[in-house]
Amino acid sequence: MQLLLEQVVNGCAIGALYGLFAIGFGLVFATLGILNAAHGTYASFAAIAGYYAVVYLGLPFVPAMVLGVITGAVLAVIVDQIAFQPLRKRGAGMLGALITSIAFWMILDSLAGLATEQQSLSFPAGTYPTWIIMAGSVPLPAMQVIAIVSLVVVTVAIHWLITRSRLGAAMRAVGWNETAAQLGGVNPRLVILATASLAGATSGLAGVLGGISTNNVSFTLGEGMLLKGFAAVVVGGYDDVRGAAVAGVGLGVAEVLSAQYISTSMRDAITYALLLSFLVLRPRGLFGRTSFMRA
Amino acid sequence: MRKYASWLLASTLTFAPMFAHAAVPAGDYVIGFVTDSTGPLAAAGQSFTHGAELAAAEITASNYVAPGAKLTLDIKEAAGDAARSIQDMHQFLADRRVIATSCCILSPIVNSVKPVIAEKLALVVYGATAPGLPSPPWVYSVTALPGPKDTETAATVAKALKPKTVAYFVSADNDAFKARMAAAEAAVKQTGATTAAVISVLGTDTDFTAPATQAMGANPDVIMVYTTQSPAVGIIAALRARGYKGAIVGNDVLAPAAMWKKIGAPLVGVPFPLSFSPDVNQSAEAKAFVAAYTKQYGNPPDLYSAQGYQAIWLIGQALHSMDGQPTREGVAAALAKQTGIDHNVYGGQAVKNGQAEVTGLTIVNWTADGTLAAWKAP
Repeated sequence: MQLLLEQVVNGCAIGALYGLFAIGFGLVFATLGILNAAHGTYASFAAIAGYYAVVYLGLPFVPAMVLGVITGAVLAVIVDQIAFQPLRKRGAGMLGALITSIAFWMILDSLAGLATEQQSLSFPAGTYPTWIIMAGSVPLPAMQVIAIVSLVVVTVAIHWLITRSRLGAAMRAVGWNETAAQLGGVNPRLVILATASLAGATSGLAGVLGGISTNNVSFTLGEGMLLKGFAAVVVGGYDDVRGAAVAGVGLGVAEVLSAQYISTSMRDAITYALLLSFLVLRPRGLFGRTSFMRA
Repeated sequence: MRKYASWLLASTLTFAPMFAHAAVPAGDYVIGFVTDSTGPLAAAGQSFTHGAELAAAEITASNYVAPGAKLTLDIKEAAGDAARSIQDMHQFLADRRVIATSCCILSPIVNSVKPVIAEKLALVVYGATAPGLPSPPWVYSVTALPGPKDTETAATVAKALKPKTVAYFVSADNDAFKARMAAAEAAVKQTGATTAAVISVLGTDTDFTAPATQAMGANPDVIMVYTTQSPAVGIIAALRARGYKGAIVGNDVLAPAAMWKKIGAPLVGVPFPLSFSPDVNQSAEAKAFVAAYTKQYGNPPDLYSAQGYQAIWLIGQALHSMDGQPTREGVAAALAKQTGIDHNVYGGQAVKNGQAEVTGLTIVNWTADGTLAAWKAP
């Protein structure tokens, strides 16, 4: 029982990272209609920026994390404006955007490799919290607690933003029909920039936290999150951040428990088989509408 | 008298070529070198490549092959990808300047490229650790095979620490590591210890909190780690982060200084076998290698740099032993005649059935000041 509880906590913590990443991934898909394969690189660059902020600028944990989050946001805006804005102007479809995002994924991955000299780096010991809280007999390491709390805060905040604020209403309007939104007084360009930066920031947060907790600051960091994030978005429902968060955590728990009790080698196969089974039963996802296609 | 003198002269002219070493002519001799300097194996890949580059430069500068003979590496990137490695080999085959090749960190990739160059180009493997890869006269390996050293280390540590139970981590997607773990487990069992758990991880895994929890849940006296580099350091860091204070035994992937820089304190006191380290190997060749490498690249060499270095020295030695214009077949035949690598950083390196061997066992561990020292049982 002790082991089960510890592993559930481990699953929630790794799942929190998937959830954070998935929220940004889903935002871009729901609002901008882009299946962005380059989204993982925002996490990689955020972690790299956070690492260099700690090692070379001597920044403490929180400012370094903020710098990483800002890096993710800025990179997402730059990529959007260089890669996707020209396609929007020409009315290119989702496939064109996907191909373009794959190209940017490759380019940014190579640049991330150069930035780390192709090494897998780690945040130095002592530059991030390492305390452990005991919940009964179950240890809760600091980075796990921070990841889970971050997911809860970000999910609540973005859900509130989308459902209760004017910006959120504008984002939903642009996601539904950009032309109609523009006729209604919404500035789509600003909404697109806000959405891209928000998505990049959440991905960046996942990247910094993931880079610290896995001792892996490298170009492979974002790649690892990409497929899991996509799965979480599909299962959770691409148009509701709560679904992405819950599905991300569920994915993490399923992954850890299948490795613990069934087979490590078959872990991913088991996890994705479970997801597939879930989608057969509920194709629209946890909180999603009935179609995966953007309106 | 004149008759005898004429006979002597004629004999000398006839038989002289049989005894004199005519050496290869001056010229540029190209070795095709497949590197994994980018991608998931980049950290090790760059070390292998730097070692090889240094060897080529030294061989050329010292006129070791022959006066005016220049050894050039044609380095092509494969990023740890089998398809790209095969493509690189096809390009070397097409380039008639290439007289020998060297490649590969991963054993499955060696097995992928072997059919491509079969009986056409000699290949010296510099990094893949699976036994049985060499097949003279075409395929050789200078990799210091870690399997036997792992087994000896596991037995030595088990005898010293006398654990009742041992848990093992193993790379489930790497046959070489699975074999190394199985051999180590068998050796440990002979000391009376039982297996508490075998925890499988994958080479692409990045989060090791859950596997560390699983191992600690088995409550072993000792944990032994037989995985590739990134998982190994990740597992050890995760175990220490979760408060595991027991003994951990690692393998040679922990040796590069980059691993100390990456993980630091959790590695202190973790014993592992070692074939080469600037802190441990003190022969004249080793010291010269360390000095030259450090001057060239700004950081000391590691065990991978040493293997890249020895791969090119083996090819250089084969060329040195040849007469006349080297051909691909001739280089392969010359390699087959080498029974050891004369210029080596290990203090001795024999070649048997195409496999270079490093004798002796050194068990080391990282110390708190970031240097390697001989391991001593607590």
